[in-house]
Amino acid sequence: MWEWWHKNRPLLLGGVLLLAALLWYSVNLRQQDETNFLEGVVLRATGPIQSGLDQMINGAADLWGRYLYLIETAEDNRQLIEENRTLRAVLTASDEVRLENQRLRLLLDFKEAQEIATLPALVIAEDASSWFRTVTIDKGSEHGVTEGLPVVVAEGVVGRVVRSSPRYSRVLLITDASSAVASLLQNNRARGVCRGQGEQLVFDFVLRQEEAKIGDRVVTSGMGGVFPKGLVIGKIKSVVRQKFGLFQEIEVAPSVDFSHLEEVLVLLRSPQ
Amino acid sequence: MNRTLIYLAMAGVAVVLQTVLLPVLLQGYHKPDLLLILVVYLGLHEESRRGGLLVYLLGWAYDGVAGGFPGLNGFVLFAVFLAVRGIVSRVNTESSPLLLMLVVAGTALQFVMLAFALDFFSQTTGVWSQMAWQMPVQLLLNFIAALVLLRLSVWLQRTFMPRKTLPGLRKLDSRYES
Repeated sequence: MWEWWHKNRPLLLGGVLLLAALLWYSVNLRQQDETNFLEGVVLRATGPIQSGLDQMINGAADLWGRYLYLIETAEDNRQLIEENRTLRAVLTASDEVRLENQRLRLLLDFKEAQEIATLPALVIAEDASSWFRTVTIDKGSEHGVTEGLPVVVAEGVVGRVVRSSPRYSRVLLITDASSAVASLLQNNRARGVCRGQGEQLVFDFVLRQEEAKIGDRVVTSGMGGVFPKGLVIGKIKSVVRQKFGLFQEIEVAPSVDFSHLEEVLVLLRSPQ
Repeated sequence: MNRTLIYLAMAGVAVVLQTVLLPVLLQGYHKPDLLLILVVYLGLHEESRRGGLLVYLLGWAYDGVAGGFPGLNGFVLFAVFLAVRGIVSRVNTESSPLLLMLVVAGTALQFVMLAFALDFFSQTTGVWSQMAWQMPVQLLLNFIAALVLLRLSVWLQRTFMPRKTLPGLRKLDSRYES
């Protein structure tokens, strides 16, 4: 017995330690929504370096793009002038709609929804691993950023804050596999949950009988308590209705280009 | 102590490269896992107790910049370290192709352990299929990064410390000499 123990001791000890590490991970899942001491230290230590390096890279890219690599500039300029003309026409038309909206609001005695305070932040780093989808922003608890706050850009939802240190925070993108957002279809208000799939999203739990078409817009429902209602998540990319089963299989293309995230807005007050 | 500080500094550089520089250079979500390569190296050349503790600590610190599950990377990297330690007495640790092979095997083990820990313990769904799609690219990137690091370390050693040797790089064959 003693000989067997002596012979297999490293293996058994390794197994026990690995099991303990797994157990510790499992126990820590309960405090998953809080920033622990070591994570705070890492964020504080790496943040300034990441920020500095990010500025250097952006500076170099600006120098290259604005002063050295000007081959496509003339073509870009021509396209922008054309686009500008089209947008002016659209703007004139939308002015009419805005004025009409104003008149109707007055008629209905509409009260403006209370605006949520926002804080602009710069994305300074991405997730260190290829398996997860998070970004680091240059605002933290000193600026009022805490865990759970929603993060958006003009195009739609980006994610929510999962870790915060005094000056830096980490944001879990909606495309991460562990992210789920209570959502609804803008057209017919069919409810479901948008889950991250790395680069796409899946819209789960939409009943079979609900009408869902490619191109339909998916927005937040405000039910999860994190995101305000009506923020754009993306557009339906594919719909599969099996012969059996309660739900449809819907793929959603996010409206935000996560590979080019630079500036984001943190919504400082949660909808609740 | 000196060596531990060097390892910590190397891990710090790896993290900064992976979070800022490599995403810009590679233009996408995929990037080589330099910390995993360091863990494989530690498994080959460090003593079990000190190396194990260091790897677990590095894993915990890694959680500060990768994913949102405290203790996950500690568990996964510790598993990779133990697996490497398990075979270290049976192989020639001075062989560079072995390091490359172990990096590939370590990446596969990392994928299995991550998917297992996420699927069974957290509320993450569809993680196996999602990670399986990324797996070939990750294997290739880690292999290339290990190859580049091998060449770079040989060049650095010859240029800056010609009289010293790096553990694991004493008997390099000509393919990895620069």
